[in-house]
Amino acid sequence: MGTSTNGKVNDFSSDMEVDAFRRLFPLRFHERHLAESIRPDGRPLGKARDTTLVLGAVASANGSALAKIGCTTMLAAIKMEVMAPTVEAPDEGCIAIEFHMPPICSPLIRPGRPAEIAPVISKQLSDTILRQEIICHYLELSLVSGKAAWMAYLDIYCLDADGALFDAALLSAVAAFSHLQVPVVSLNDDGRIVLISEDNIAAMKEKEPVNKEKRKLKLDSVPFSLTCVLHKNHILADPTSEEESIMETFLTVVLDSSSFQLVSLNKPGGPGLAHTSAIQECVELAKLRVKEVQKIMNEATSDMEQD
Amino acid sequence: MEYVNPEGLRLDGRRPMEMRQLRAEIGVVSKADGSAVFEMGNTKVIAAVYGPREVQNRSQQMNDQALVRCEYSMANFSTGDRMRKPKGDRRSTEISLVIRQTMEACILTHLMPRSQIDIFVQVLQADGGTRSACINAATLALADAGIPMRDLVTSCSAGFLNGTPLLDLNYVEDSAGGPDVTVGILPKLDKVTLLQMDAKLAMDTFENVMQLATEGCKAVATYIREILLEHTKQLEFRRGL
Repeated sequence: MGTSTNGKVNDFSSDMEVDAFRRLFPLRFHERHLAESIRPDGRPLGKARDTTLVLGAVASANGSALAKIGCTTMLAAIKMEVMAPTVEAPDEGCIAIEFHMPPICSPLIRPGRPAEIAPVISKQLSDTILRQEIICHYLELSLVSGKAAWMAYLDIYCLDADGALFDAALLSAVAAFSHLQVPVVSLNDDGRIVLISEDNIAAMKEKEPVNKEKRKLKLDSVPFSLTCVLHKNHILADPTSEEESIMETFLTVVLDSSSFQLVSLNKPGGPGLAHTSAIQECVELAKLRVKEVQKIMNEATSDMEQD
Repeated sequence: MEYVNPEGLRLDGRRPMEMRQLRAEIGVVSKADGSAVFEMGNTKVIAAVYGPREVQNRSQQMNDQALVRCEYSMANFSTGDRMRKPKGDRRSTEISLVIRQTMEACILTHLMPRSQIDIFVQVLQADGGTRSACINAATLALADAGIPMRDLVTSCSAGFLNGTPLLDLNYVEDSAGGPDVTVGILPKLDKVTLLQMDAKLAMDTFENVMQLATEGCKAVATYIREILLEHTKQLEFRRGL
């Protein structure tokens, strides 16, 4: 297999099978497609994969969602526990986010050695959701001032890793928050908070419930994101894991769905350099994507409510 | 506490010899060579198989057979109270070992020397019988991956409460303190590969309970065969045969 002159490889490649060419010369395989403004799975450059969202996937959690972008699958679940608030902030609760990539999701992950990308995405999610209380004010999570407040544990599990992990993780996290129902609690005689289960209606009448009924959290802003990959002067939206591994320059744009304001922009280095025009184009693609995702989220919410 | 009421119904309305509802789906993880979701009532488990592939740790490579590895882990939200340590704790390590030894017995490892087969099981919802659900899911995932096996391995649990043998315990019945017998069999060869029991039980009662669990395993095997046939028909259809 001579690789010295371009011409020779070209001739050889026309005889080779498509699959073999794809494995041996992945960059040239993709560039051939980009020259025609299309990608190997048939999508135009700026289009994201089919996205589905199911709310309430985990029955035992207070809020949960399963998000699928193409083959990438993320399962997010929120469990609420009562804790004592800190002295400096007696009226505020807390949210803790954990992102897990179990070995089932990808052949590259070995048990005992966590994926490199998992803590990176975990930090990105915390920054996007928790800093400046983007999703909801911590005051919403208070129960009894100074004594008890809610601690929400958000766990996101990646069940299938096929590119655009941050987008799917953020979507499932936001959907889980929108599905979350704060459980009913009451103050015990010892001054402790107890959860009232739904069958315990007699107990509900005896004790004074601290919050009358299950309520949904009021979300301040709902952020959605789009990850693009930059290669020479092409911008590919929503890359698959194959595209991500070949063209390593990412740009992630997070926008607020109601005001289309920029929540976060992340271009963590990479071999490709981007002009300002490329960044603006990415933001435009992100706007279109946010509209799409908002529609999908509304459909999923109305499906849930119908049940 | 009454686990079987005078009319003969259990806490969730089942009869003593009735299994929970089974549901399975093959090919759910696109990146894996074989994968499956298996549900027994509220217990939901996802299994993924990667292999046969190159051994990652050369020192463990075996020249005459394949190396089988298994990891069992529970999601933080799978149980009622949020779990702190879903992987390294003793129970998970024990169940990983049990699943590995059970599946190793039925995989034809001598056909794939110097290679490695990884079985990863993740529990998404736990409501009793997770061990059995994991073994059933692993069987389906191995079949989906096309790994040669002697036979399917199916598993089911049974217990003894209020003087009645009960099939397929859920979490409440399991934590009642009565005996819990888990059986894993190779249905066609009619051989037992896994048998575990905790708590005390008289010998003749034990035989009844084990017989009941074995019947449960055979019912699971019938269901698994249906699922595999259905899946194969789908594959044929997609290939245009």
